[in-house]
Amino acid sequence: MLDQPIPTTLAKQTGRGRTRARSADVVRHSGRRQLSLALRHAVLIVLALLTLFPVILVVSTALKTSDDVTLNPFGLFSSFSFDNLVSAWTVGRFSSYLVNSLLLTVPSTLLVIAISTMAGYTFARLPFRGRTVMFYLVVLGLLVPFFTYMIPLYFQLRSMGLLDTLLGAILVLTSTGISFGTFFMRAFFSDLPTELEQAARVDGCSEAQIFARVMLPLVRSGMGALAVFTFLANWNNFLVPLLYLPGGDYRPLTTGLYMFTGGRSLDIGPLAAGTLITIVPIVILFVVLQRQVTEGFISGAVKG
Amino acid sequence: MAALSHAPAVTRRAQTRLGLLLTAPVMIMVVLFFLFPMISALYYSVVDFDGIDPTPEFVGLANFKEMFTDPEVWHALRNNAIWIVIGTAAPLIVGLLMALLIWSVRSGSVLYRLAFFLPYILPGIAIGIVWGWIYDPVSGWMNRVLAGIGLDGLQRGWLGEPNTALYAVLATAIWATCGFVIVIFLSALQNVDSDLVDASRIDGANSARRLWFVILPQIMPVFLMVLTLTLVGGFSVFDIIFIMTGGGPADATNVIGTYAYTQAFQLSRIGYGTTLALLITVLAVPFAIALNRLQRRLSLQGTGA
Repeated sequence: MLDQPIPTTLAKQTGRGRTRARSADVVRHSGRRQLSLALRHAVLIVLALLTLFPVILVVSTALKTSDDVTLNPFGLFSSFSFDNLVSAWTVGRFSSYLVNSLLLTVPSTLLVIAISTMAGYTFARLPFRGRTVMFYLVVLGLLVPFFTYMIPLYFQLRSMGLLDTLLGAILVLTSTGISFGTFFMRAFFSDLPTELEQAARVDGCSEAQIFARVMLPLVRSGMGALAVFTFLANWNNFLVPLLYLPGGDYRPLTTGLYMFTGGRSLDIGPLAAGTLITIVPIVILFVVLQRQVTEGFISGAVKG
Repeated sequence: MAALSHAPAVTRRAQTRLGLLLTAPVMIMVVLFFLFPMISALYYSVVDFDGIDPTPEFVGLANFKEMFTDPEVWHALRNNAIWIVIGTAAPLIVGLLMALLIWSVRSGSVLYRLAFFLPYILPGIAIGIVWGWIYDPVSGWMNRVLAGIGLDGLQRGWLGEPNTALYAVLATAIWATCGFVIVIFLSALQNVDSDLVDASRIDGANSARRLWFVILPQIMPVFLMVLTLTLVGGFSVFDIIFIMTGGGPADATNVIGTYAYTQAFQLSRIGYGTTLALLITVLAVPFAIALNRLQRRLSLQGTGA
């Protein structure tokens, strides 16, 4: 797009008499341009393959026979079997880790969406006394790293009886997402025109109806982006299950993998298979929804 | 906004009612899982708590005093500083160059975006495991490649040696962050005024000058935003180091995050661990606010974003 305008505008300016000379020049120019374009594509493809190499290595190692893992653990695609995947799934308990990951991620993602959408709407469109203070408190959660309060939170959960429970971990995961979520959804609601709610009010809608029937359907794309973003963050979360689910009954894939690493290098095959099981769902999600994912991250970053 | 404040009292009351209802869940969650533990953190920093004793001894500022005289804190802070400087500069530079490269070829940018962004969405534990294999001293690809290009002398156990471990982990983190920076810059470049770029090209500006005088000023707010995100992330780095080296070998890769974790959960020195964690906040938050201000001012000047 950018490479085209210059020759054409120049050709226009040079007038009829010299068009022929110009177009010859353009052809010579575009030949060189094509070469440099091909070169740039080549560089990009090499870099892309280098970037993807670790992922390729996981797939390759996961699909090896166990003999091959012992002899040549990181040789690429030197043998093929599903043994590692089977043993990770059954002996390695990755089937139950996967279920636990879903049990933690799905409810916490839904909670983040619901809570953030409601709060985001209020902070964008429902002014009342004290609202600003509340908003600052929520935003403070964005600024302060989880690190700062994770240790006291451990003891707080213990005294609340929520340590090592699914509910406790879900609530903490939710709380780590709502500050960003509220901020994110607020930006979407702020962009909507005020005429909309005024018209609805004139038509006799209650405030709750304006929110649920008029405004909510208009921020569906924002909710979608937040859902994908939150799902990924919670699926990948390592610290929360590490700290608050120490017992292992509800161990998700991330800490399951961590427990599996424990220095036993002979288990590289099943470990690779477990890693593959952990990343396949999010890679699929990412490839299918790549537009929403990247746009969610971008608008999240820009709006945050 | 003006229209809202002129709303009749009935509407304002209804809005207040709905607003309080809709913000109740977020406020309950924030108070319960953020404000309470934050206040406890301040309390823990002035007591000597071992995690069991319900009435820990009040020690005043002893934890803070210990923090400033603890040589490991200074060592960990130095590692944080290295992490922040390299871990911020490298993804910004690499990301910007890659974004410009993808931007300049136009076609296929979706595929490139997909490939380069993928590492960013992977869980830290998976990244740590696979890069641990790449750095494997015996059969890892890092050493294989070095041998392949005749640099056998550089072969080593990358994660096992104190003087390379931090940089090995850092390289992994840079690999994982670059995709994010690329995608952000690509979206910013899409808003760059291409007429200006064309005009400067006709005026004879070479590509370096075009980048510096024409493109960079237009994407400056986004540049600062990425800077803020990576910088603040650099203070609270934990996952990837904890997973790949656990702060070792011999504390060589300790940052404040891993040191605080070790103190609190492995040595049961809850008070001291919490104090160390507070240090991260005290260091990170002012940076975040200052950069955010700067970014906002630039945005207000109408330079994009």
